[in-house]
Amino acid sequence: MIEILQQGVNGLAIGSVYVLIALGLTVVFGILGIAHFAHGSVAMFGGYLTFTFGERFGLPFFAAMALAMVAGAVVGLLIERLAYRPVRDAPHINAFIIALGLTMMIEGLNLLTFGADQVVIQTPYRSVFNVGGVVIAELRLLVILTACVLVGVIALLMSRTKTGKSVRAVAQNRQAAVLMGVNVNQVSLVVFGISSSLGVAAGALIGALLAIAPGVGEGLAIKGFAVLILGGLGSIPGAIVGGLILGVSEAMAAGFISSAYKDVIAFLVMIVVLLFRPEGLLGKR
Amino acid sequence: MKQFNRRVVVVAVSAAMGLGMVWSAQAADKELVLGVNDALTGPGAVYGLPQANAVKMAADDINAKGGIKAGGDTYKIKVVDYDDKANPTEATNSVRKLIDRDGAKYLLGFCCSGPTSAVASFIDKEDAVMLVGNAAERAITAKGIPNLFRTRPPADFTGAAAGTFVAKRGARNIAVIGSLDVSFYGQYLEAFERELVKAGGKIVAKETFGLKDRDMTPQLTKVRALNPDALLVLGYVEPAAFVYRQAIELGMKMPRYGFTSGSEEQFLRVASSEQMEGVWDLRPTELTVEALDANAKTYVANYTKKYGSAPAPSSPYAYDQVYVLKNAIEAAGGAGDAKKVAAAIRKLAIPKEAVMKYLPTNGTMFDVNGQAYTTNGAFQWQKGKWVYVAELPSDTLAYSTFLRSLYK
Amino acid sequence: MKKFLTHLSGWVVLILVAAAMPALIKVPYFIHLIILALIWIVLAQGQNLIQGLVGYVSIAQAGFMGIGAYFSTLLTVNFGWSVWMTMWLAPLFTGLISVLAGYPSLRVKGHYFAIVTLAYNMVIFTVLLTYSSLTGGEAGISNVPRPSEFSLLGYTFNFEGRSNISYYLLALLMAALSTGLCALILHSRVGRILLSIRQNENLSDAIGVSTLRYKLLAFSVSAALAGLAGALYAHYIGFLNPEPFGVDQSLNAILAVILGGSGTLAGPVVGAFAITFLPEYLRIADSYRLVTYGFILVLATIFLPRGLVPVFHSLWLRLAGALGLRRG
Repeated sequence: MIEILQQGVNGLAIGSVYVLIALGLTVVFGILGIAHFAHGSVAMFGGYLTFTFGERFGLPFFAAMALAMVAGAVVGLLIERLAYRPVRDAPHINAFIIALGLTMMIEGLNLLTFGADQVVIQTPYRSVFNVGGVVIAELRLLVILTACVLVGVIALLMSRTKTGKSVRAVAQNRQAAVLMGVNVNQVSLVVFGISSSLGVAAGALIGALLAIAPGVGEGLAIKGFAVLILGGLGSIPGAIVGGLILGVSEAMAAGFISSAYKDVIAFLVMIVVLLFRPEGLLGKR
Repeated sequence: MKQFNRRVVVVAVSAAMGLGMVWSAQAADKELVLGVNDALTGPGAVYGLPQANAVKMAADDINAKGGIKAGGDTYKIKVVDYDDKANPTEATNSVRKLIDRDGAKYLLGFCCSGPTSAVASFIDKEDAVMLVGNAAERAITAKGIPNLFRTRPPADFTGAAAGTFVAKRGARNIAVIGSLDVSFYGQYLEAFERELVKAGGKIVAKETFGLKDRDMTPQLTKVRALNPDALLVLGYVEPAAFVYRQAIELGMKMPRYGFTSGSEEQFLRVASSEQMEGVWDLRPTELTVEALDANAKTYVANYTKKYGSAPAPSSPYAYDQVYVLKNAIEAAGGAGDAKKVAAAIRKLAIPKEAVMKYLPTNGTMFDVNGQAYTTNGAFQWQKGKWVYVAELPSDTLAYSTFLRSLYK
Repeated sequence: MKKFLTHLSGWVVLILVAAAMPALIKVPYFIHLIILALIWIVLAQGQNLIQGLVGYVSIAQAGFMGIGAYFSTLLTVNFGWSVWMTMWLAPLFTGLISVLAGYPSLRVKGHYFAIVTLAYNMVIFTVLLTYSSLTGGEAGISNVPRPSEFSLLGYTFNFEGRSNISYYLLALLMAALSTGLCALILHSRVGRILLSIRQNENLSDAIGVSTLRYKLLAFSVSAALAGLAGALYAHYIGFLNPEPFGVDQSLNAILAVILGGSGTLAGPVVGAFAITFLPEYLRIADSYRLVTYGFILVLATIFLPRGLVPVFHSLWLRLAGALGLRRG
């Protein structure tokens, strides 16, 4: 029993990271219809940046992460303006290919700037808590909390601010929103800014929990899409529920079936969901 | 004015060319191309990059002292290195380039078993000599390839000694977590288990992880439930470091033994010194503070000065390869005949410049299989440093005979 | 008809020149690269079918290549079958697998499809890597055999040994056959239907075309070609492990098609050579390679969405016009 609980708790931390990645993907997909595959590489960039702020400039972890998130938002704005906007009215396949090209570019830039070695962000949070036999590391707890806080902030932004209302309007019906005077360009920029910030946060958290290295970004992006498909493309609650489910099921599968095939779970889930319930658990038909 | 300038240029260029031709005809220096194939990036880089650096350092030192003098010629070493990313396909391509395009007859490095095995499968058809370093797969020197030599002992040579050691320390139920799909870790474990069982112990779990995995908490959680006396970790430095760290994060307090071989710096990038405290590494007696003699001390000092970080414990396997070659080329009287040099290596005594401590077999550095042997040692992480605690006794001649018996 | 003959003669000349290459080029490494490029042509022509003609971006091509490679290798290494036989069986097997994979995934459109194929590739890669009792895992399978020798018209084609000329000709033959097959498809009724699906799938559906069946056909032929490329690759290199069949290679296949010219016949040929040779010349900074590729891809998609071949084509037309070689 303890073992099951322990595996589940282990999975929650990773699941929280998946939630953040998926949120970044789902806002872009739901509102702008773009499968922003480069999101994983942006997350990696954020992780490397957080590491640099921490090591080179001595900033404490959360401060470094916050600073990196701001940088990430800027990167998001640039990506929208320079790469995706020119193909906004072209066939969808073009946007996807742009996404692939961007992935290569950002991975390449990461390699050039930060090197090919894996990077582990050291944090001072090394305590370990024992709750009735289930052991949880302080760092993992903080990861889960951070994800909750960020999700809460985004939710508030979406529901309480004017910008948030514009974003929701565009999500519901772009034509109508334009007619009502919403500045779609501005909305696109905001969406990408938010998405990239969240991605950067995810990257920083993964860097502290495990490591940042070439190739990790791609894996995260794919898992992010798996969560999207599981939870429903464009659904924010879906991203949250889906992310946690994926994280926990991966841990369970690794613990009770085989750790080697752990990654395959995400893909199988994706394929099965697409076959039988393509709109996802919480998506709309 | 323009015409005058042009004439000046023509004269100057011809003079330069003439001088150049005369000057190059005078230099009787020949170029000796050393091809290095190693993992310079990716998960194997913790072993491969230090090896490549070590080769370059040795080459620079030799060139600075005038090069290799053999058979009336002076050879200046040129190192050409390729990154195989610890991948067998890349390694095959790299070696093809080295032999066909770069004209290398002498191939060094080879930190990782997968790529090394791939190259070993065709090297006997090539006009070359292959010197293998850190790669631990037994089969590499169990095929009787006449132009292949290895400075690092096979994994199971160390595994058996490790098994006896752990049993003597009182552990009876051992849980193993490692990259068990990689055959040389499998071989280490086989030999380890054999000795452990002889002493009355047993292996209660065998969990696997991949070379690129970082989250081993599922496997560790499973193992924790079995309450073993000790943990045995078999893997590359980076995943092993995560295992050591995550074991502490899961509240596991039993002794942790490993077969990983990494420098303090490499481990500290992932885990803190407190998390590493007490971890054992049961491996060949590679570079370490205590076992340092003059050669080794100089090696560490020079490497640190040249590359800005301490050398990895296994890097001297490649450094020594360069001096093996140098001495063999001098003995053979030239570097042009790869077969002759290979024959010279076979008869070579341990070079005086070697950094690792080798045990000669019948007076030569390499046995009949082309295999060299170092002693095995038990190291423990104490307050941020790997400390040499004890030698793990092992029988070189017996193993050499065993290896010879494996030829198909 | 005249246009067809001109095109055909252009291709024939190209093939003859290519066949003569080994006699002209003496550096073995260069021949090695061209053989790889020829194998890539097979792969890229397949990618072009599903991406260029039908307009569905598949990110599974490298995975299918892996299936073909391992199928052929395992049969020859473990059971001693003849390479000549397994080289034809491999594409058939891969095509079959792809029908199973394609049936569910081709029912979803655009982005969903691309992501699902990505998932397929990753599943295939992970299985190849992890199921090591069958595939040898990361360490791979050594000594993959070459095709056995045979004699034709007095010449003996021997595939062993250091000279790769026989294999070169084999690869050339396969590249030519693949291009020929795609040409047949492109200029047939099937080809027109596929193009109509790319233009407007809903419309095609509406007028009664069974789009799923045609998409499946294109997908399976494209996977079969990938399988053939895989078998060619494995028996050439002589060593097989999962590394060449990851998602990165699928992205390369997509790049090759886009660079060369999506939907054209010459496009994949140009793209395949670009993909094989560019890394050699950009080797000074391998890290720059990714950035450059990505940058080219982004620029090409924004400014040259139809690839290089149409650009060359229009340049050629203009040149021909200026030289008075064209009528009208």
